Amino acid sequence: MIGNLPFVAAMVLVVLGLWTLMTRRNLIKLVVGIVLIENGVNLLLVSLGYVRGGVAPIYTYAPEGTPVDIPMVMPTPQALTLTSIVIGVATTALLLTLAVLIHRHRGTLDVRKIRELRG
Amino acid sequence: MSFAMHVPILAIAAPLLGAFSLPLMAKVHHRLRDLWAIIVGAFTVAMIVTLAVQVFGGGIQVYTLGAEAPDATLGPEGFPIRITLVADAMGAFMALISALLGGAALVYALGFAQDGKGKTLSMSLLLLLWAGMLGLKLTGDLFNFFVFLEITTVAACGLIAYRVWESRPPEAAFKTLVMFILGGLMVLLAVALLYGEYGALNMAYLSNQIGGGLIDRMALGLLVGGLLMKAGAVPMHMWAPDAYGEADANTAIVLVANTQAGLYGLLRMLFTLYGGAATPEVGWLITSLGALTVLVTVLMAVVQHRLGRLVAYGAVSQIGYMLLAAGVALVTVGARPEFGQLALQGSVFHMINDAACIGLLFLCVGAVHRATGTGDLRSLGGLAHTERWTSGFFLLGALALAGIPPLNGFASKLMIYQSVFMLSPILAALAVLASILLLAVFVRAFQGAFLGPRQNVVSKPPSPAMLIGMGVLAAVVIAFGLFPDVMVRHVVAPAAEALWTGRDAYMAAVLGG
Amino acid sequence: MRLLTGEGFWSPLVWLALAAGVALLAWALRSRGRQDYKRGTEQETPFLSGEPMPEGVHVGGQHMYWGFVEALRPVIDRLRAFHSGVVSDYVTWLVVMLAVVFLVVMLS
Repeated sequence: MIGNLPFVAAMVLVVLGLWTLMTRRNLIKLVVGIVLIENGVNLLLVSLGYVRGGVAPIYTYAPEGTPVDIPMVMPTPQALTLTSIVIGVATTALLLTLAVLIHRHRGTLDVRKIRELRG
Repeated sequence: MSFAMHVPILAIAAPLLGAFSLPLMAKVHHRLRDLWAIIVGAFTVAMIVTLAVQVFGGGIQVYTLGAEAPDATLGPEGFPIRITLVADAMGAFMALISALLGGAALVYALGFAQDGKGKTLSMSLLLLLWAGMLGLKLTGDLFNFFVFLEITTVAACGLIAYRVWESRPPEAAFKTLVMFILGGLMVLLAVALLYGEYGALNMAYLSNQIGGGLIDRMALGLLVGGLLMKAGAVPMHMWAPDAYGEADANTAIVLVANTQAGLYGLLRMLFTLYGGAATPEVGWLITSLGALTVLVTVLMAVVQHRLGRLVAYGAVSQIGYMLLAAGVALVTVGARPEFGQLALQGSVFHMINDAACIGLLFLCVGAVHRATGTGDLRSLGGLAHTERWTSGFFLLGALALAGIPPLNGFASKLMIYQSVFMLSPILAALAVLASILLLAVFVRAFQGAFLGPRQNVVSKPPSPAMLIGMGVLAAVVIAFGLFPDVMVRHVVAPAAEALWTGRDAYMAAVLGG
Repeated sequence: MRLLTGEGFWSPLVWLALAAGVALLAWALRSRGRQDYKRGTEQETPFLSGEPMPEGVHVGGQHMYWGFVEALRPVIDRLRAFHSGVVSDYVTWLVVMLAVVFLVVMLS
């Protein structure tokens, strides 16, 4: 049961992020909602590769005196998560830049007032 | 180890390198930048054409990154652990579309974009978006698919928003970016689920394993949802008219190619990755979404008064036709009747036809904008007196898009109508009705902007580079219209075949045996 | 030179030949002319919907299909309201569609 906690937490983060996106009015809060979803997905990714009792997947740094077939956590999901975090930083930066630009032009961050494009 | 083996990675690497070196060239001199852009673009197009010749002549090309030899896909234990690029006929066909639109956009941008108003930015982001699309179309690795999806996301939204001194582009880019990030995260979630289930990211290996269990279905739902949004299906299309309508002309046509890359991703997932597990219900869902897309966007196009936004709605409606026909193919993929294959061919053929005529229309809108400084149908009129080339190209593109024989839109739409009719006559009737409405929309746009007495002061005629960009697309429209059979037999049919029955060949090319 | 389309075939060159024939016929009919046309009379003045118009009037794009749009006004107004321009609505539709896709995928 406790082993499934990361997956539950990831789902909660994703749902909270979507809820933020659907109900909040401030552009910055929307960005926070997107970051929440990203973190939820990253948490899911990194917890997928965890092996109970495993050590870091680096052969030369394995603890002394451990048997050869020591369990190691899977390295691929960690690499994927790192990539995904980097991509997340880039997209978040772009989102915040656009929010600043919109504020400069309109003087507001309220999504319900930023609707020049409609219909 | 010959040069020809490395063509798939060169096609992706050339525009990527070009994108990052272009600003450096611009620091030296702006003519050097233009020259460099032409060199990079020409090299990329040459690589894509070479790849297409290899694929259509000699079957699927596999390229493994980081291996001793490009064809060593399997690791020492017979398990595909390396990143692979897999170019089958469908991937090569999509790469050809991106070559057509990317090349035309680059040439057009040379004459259209202005120094001091983000010309360097727009050209380098255009190359970056091109590289991302090519990666998306050629990759055989699911996580790489996500990474390239995000590259196209960032590049596309940068391209929409780079005119920061206006108020609408940043708004359109923000909305598009929110949607694209959400779609990308859904794809990533699906990738995570599939990795957790099978411990692999290689699409051919996963395709071999996927059986239709609970996790597989959840991943399928996430992939279909995310990629349908990326392709712009109603009711998740709303970012598309905003983005196309606000972007520059050369940007808008690359965005169209990007949308089609999303559609390609959807087809690849459904036919190759889930080829054994996709059910007719998913096909019905996509068919009905396609019909809805066609109708809603055409009705919205009727009431638009900004030329760019009107063409943008036309562009989204064409995605509806492709979804409609692809859905018909999915419904029938189990029984494999003749008309299912025809529907898939129609859908694939319509992609390149739509790319050519919508691209031409967007480029004409750009020329109108440049000539008059406005894109509002309420103040335009009589442009045909002075803008002869632009009017001719606009008329050609509009007629082709509405499906008037003998232009190219008619050939593919005929295939779509007939195959959809076999499945459901009502849907076929709706598709024809939407096409008639589309003709009305473009008659209205053409009459309003180009016919009648002169209304506007024309300051800047289109430059030669712009005319070359438009001319290339117009030539494609006419050539594919007059000789559709040649195109279908040699290029479209193999591409559709790669989706329809090519799953085993795809797996065999990567996994061996 | 034929594109098979399931029921029949499509050949642009045959179509072009037929279209050329029809155009020739139309030109032949037109060249016979009308006997009651007189140059320099009021037959040459432009008119619009039966009313005489001064030269230089332009029917803008927004006026075309006025009747059609007016007849469909309720539907089109609803569609325009549907495209509200608020990002939250876009996201809501994405979530709704995701739920629909999940329903279809899970129940099939």
